[in-house]
Amino acid sequence: MFRRTLLAALPAIVLSRSLPARAAEDAPVKLRDLYNKDLSFSDLALTNQGIRTTIAGFMASPLKAESVFFVLTKMPMAVCPFCEPGMPWPDDILAVYAKRVNDVIPFNVPILVTGVLELGDAVDPELGFYSKVRLTDATFARA
Amino acid sequence: MMKKFLLSGVAGLAMSVAAIAQDLPQSENTWFQAGQATIAARLALQPNTSKAKNVILFTADGNGVGTNYAIRLFEGQQLGGLGDDHIQPHEAFPNAAMVKTYSTNGQTPDSAPTASAMNSGVKTKNDLINIPDSVAVGDCAAGVTTNLKLFSEIASEMGKSVGVVSTARVTHATPAAVYARSVNRDWEDNTSIPEGCTQKDIASQLIDMMASGVIDVAMGGGRAHFLPETVTDIEGKSGKRTDGRNLIDEAKALGAQVVESHVDFTALTLGNNASILGLFEPSHMKYEFDRSGEPSLAQMTEASIESLSTNESGFFLAIEAGRVDHALHGGNLHRVMVDGVAFNDAIRKAIEMTNPEETLIIVTADHEHAIAFNGYCGRGSAITGLCMEINEAGVEHTGTAETAADGKTYTVAGFLNGAGSVLVEQADKTFSGMRPDLTNEQAIDPDYLQQALIPMGSETHSGEDVMVFAQGPWAHLFGGTIEQNVIFHVMNHAVNPK
Repeated sequence: MFRRTLLAALPAIVLSRSLPARAAEDAPVKLRDLYNKDLSFSDLALTNQGIRTTIAGFMASPLKAESVFFVLTKMPMAVCPFCEPGMPWPDDILAVYAKRVNDVIPFNVPILVTGVLELGDAVDPELGFYSKVRLTDATFARA
Repeated sequence: MMKKFLLSGVAGLAMSVAAIAQDLPQSENTWFQAGQATIAARLALQPNTSKAKNVILFTADGNGVGTNYAIRLFEGQQLGGLGDDHIQPHEAFPNAAMVKTYSTNGQTPDSAPTASAMNSGVKTKNDLINIPDSVAVGDCAAGVTTNLKLFSEIASEMGKSVGVVSTARVTHATPAAVYARSVNRDWEDNTSIPEGCTQKDIASQLIDMMASGVIDVAMGGGRAHFLPETVTDIEGKSGKRTDGRNLIDEAKALGAQVVESHVDFTALTLGNNASILGLFEPSHMKYEFDRSGEPSLAQMTEASIESLSTNESGFFLAIEAGRVDHALHGGNLHRVMVDGVAFNDAIRKAIEMTNPEETLIIVTADHEHAIAFNGYCGRGSAITGLCMEINEAGVEHTGTAETAADGKTYTVAGFLNGAGSVLVEQADKTFSGMRPDLTNEQAIDPDYLQQALIPMGSETHSGEDVMVFAQGPWAHLFGGTIEQNVIFHVMNHAVNPK
C-alpha cells in the first residue's frame, strides 16, 4: 500500500524538478532545441533522455540505400557542389535507427521522428558513423 | 553690340539658374539638402596618388548587388532603423564600380576563377586556381608548366608581409587563390591528386609559401587537410591526408605559431615576427549565428593587422567572409545576413586600425547568387520576413501582409532555385507543391528557408554583377563597369605607381 503510494507519487516528484517538462505528444521537439549554442546538450535533451520522444527535422540523403539508418538535420541540408567532395555533417545532427526500412523522404520535406532518445558519443560499428544523439527503435512520417 | 548682348545673356542665364536653385519649393526638404551635401562632399574629394603602403582586399563570397542590399537592410533593422537608409562601412567609401564576374568558360562563375582574376590579373576557367585558361581543368601536366605570378608574391618581393584569412577552409578556392596554383580547386589535400601528377595539393602549397616567407599569416578552417588520417585533432576528428605528412607539425618546425581554438587564439603573441597558422575547424568555420569556441572574422582581422603591421614596408591582407555563399547555397537568408554583419564588423575593424592615407581598402564579392526580391513592400518590412503593405498615409508599413494570387503571404526575399523550392519530390518521383501559409514569425525564424521556384539540392551562383568599393591610395582608379581582373591591376598600380 505504502509502496504503491510512493510509485504514484514519483511522477509528481519528477515534474516538480526545475528541468523543462517532457515533450507533449502534440508538440514535437525541434532538433535544434536539443543543443545549447556550444553544442552541449540542452536541459530539454537531458529531460527526454531514454524516453520515447518525437523530434521534428529533415531526412538527409541516406548514407546507404535500404538501410534502417538515416541522419536527421534541423534544416534541409543543401548539397553544395563547391563546398566539399564528401560533405562534412553539421555538428548538430541526430542519428536515427528506424524500426524498419521505409521509403526515403526528400531532404527538404519536414518529417517527425519518434524514437527513444539516446545521448552520448557512439560510433556505428557497421557504418563507422559517429553520433552524439540518437533516436532508436524509431518510426517517422511527413509532418 | 551683338557680343555684349550674348555675354549679358549668358550672365543673365547664370544668375537666373542660381536664383532658381535657391527658390526651389523643395529647398527645405531634408532629402534635397542631403542631396546637395552629397554633391558638396564629392566636389571636395581629392584623389590620393601616393604609394599604398598596405592593401587590404575584403571579399564576401557570394555577396553581389542583391545580397549586399539585403545585408544593408538587415543590419539597419538590427540597429533599430527601417534599414533602407542604412550605410554599411564600404558604402561610405568614395569610390566604387560595377564588376563583371563571368569566367572564360562560365557565364556563371565559381569562386576559383573569380578569386584568380583578383590575384593574378587575368580571367580563367571555372574550377582553375591561378592557372591560365589555355589549360583544361584537371590537366596536371599542362598546369605545372604555366606560371602566373600572384599579387602576394609581388607584395612579398617588395618586402611586404602577407596574410590570408577566411571563415571557410583556408584551402578553399578564395583564400587558396592568394597563395596557390591548381588545375582543380578540389585538390585541397593529396588524396584528390591523380596518380603520376606532380602538382602539389593546396594545403602543402600554403606550407611552402610560409616556408619561403611569402605568407606570414593564414587563418581559417580546413584543419583536416593538414593532418594525416592516422591523427585526430583537438576536436577528435581525424585528418584526411594519406601521404603521411603532418603539415601542422611542419608549420611548427618552420617556427610558426599554430593555433586551433579560441583559447589558443587569444593567447597568440602578435608582432614578434613569427608567422601564424590558425586552423579553427576540421572543415569550414561555423556560421557567425552558430559560432562558439572560435574567433570571429573581425577578431581574426584585428589579430592579422596587428601582426602584419609591424612590417615597416607594409602588408597585403586578403580577408574573406567565406560563408555568406554557403548560407545562400543553403537557401537560409538569416545566416547570410548574420555572416554579412560579421563581414561589416571586420571591415569596420580594419578601417579603425589603419591609416586611410596609406592603406588601400577594397571591399568586393566574387559573384552573386540566385537571390531575388518581391514587392510592393512597405518601409520596415523585415528583410527576412513577409512583404508588408505600403502605408499610403505614413512611412512605416501598415502591419498587414501582402498576399499573392493564391491568397497567401510571401516574403520580401526569395530564391530562384534551391532547397526551399515549393516544388517538392512526391512519392511517384514527380515534383509538385503548393505554397504554404506563412506567418512573419515563421519567416524570420533563423532556420527558415525562403521559398524558391526551381527545385535543386543546392541554390546556385548567378552571373549577375557585383560591386567593388574602395578607399585610400588610387581607390579612384575604380569607376564605371569593369572586368573583375581589373581589381588586381588597381592593387598592382597602387603599391607601385609609375
